[in-house]
Amino acid sequence: MIKLTIEALSQYNGDHNTPLYIAYKGKIYDVSSSFLWKGGKHQVLHKAGQDLTEELEHAPHGADLLKRVPCIGQLVE
Amino acid sequence: MARVAREMVERSGINVDELVELLVKNASAELTTYYYYTILRVNLIGLKGEGLKEIAEAARIEDRNHFEALVPRIYELGGALPASMNDFHDISACPPAPLPEDPTNIEAMLKVFVNAERCAVRGYTQICNMTAGKDHRTYDLALAILNEEIEHESWFSEFLGEGPSGHFLRRGENSPFVSKFLK
Repeated sequence: MIKLTIEALSQYNGDHNTPLYIAYKGKIYDVSSSFLWKGGKHQVLHKAGQDLTEELEHAPHGADLLKRVPCIGQLVE
Repeated sequence: MARVAREMVERSGINVDELVELLVKNASAELTTYYYYTILRVNLIGLKGEGLKEIAEAARIEDRNHFEALVPRIYELGGALPASMNDFHDISACPPAPLPEDPTNIEAMLKVFVNAERCAVRGYTQICNMTAGKDHRTYDLALAILNEEIEHESWFSEFLGEGPSGHFLRRGENSPFVSKFLK
């Protein structure tokens, strides 16, 4: 399991062929293989490399969908 | 492009470029789903498969209607469809809905259908949330499509044993909600 700060997480946004990571409630998920995250964006509005905890509260789906992608680490201060 | 119509949407506070991108991605999902559902439908054979053919066909035709209904709104707002069919497939708002490895596995077939419909329900809910009280025309269209996607989901989920759909199949014309945009 990796540990990343929010600043380090921001580098995993798909630019320069980096993997696509997102954070939710302190955990980091790798969404690189998800069709729904192609190009580093999800449904136009949500970008990889970010903590999406607040955005997910307003999404038309719950956090249960994160079970479909691997949890690879923790967000740290 | 409908210049003033786009301006009205911009003035409501909506990021029109983002909205158009969402509409294009969802139109893409409709057309690719129509294609995948064609393959799924022809493989619904045998005693169990035949029972699903009618709802699969209704969902297939209605998804194509959703594509047809979305296209004018995309262009009114200054957007455009991708020039390449490959791009169209790759930008879809929903994942592909391919034929399961074993097409005689009816439960696997139903899961493909229901997952596709659930993705659509989420997508149009998002567009409705984004446009409610702001972009009346897009909202009206997205709501009409959402109504049909919810019915599709409930038809397929009923066969998966998730409970009654609460309504019957189409009687007469397809797209009871979206047809007003197709005239």
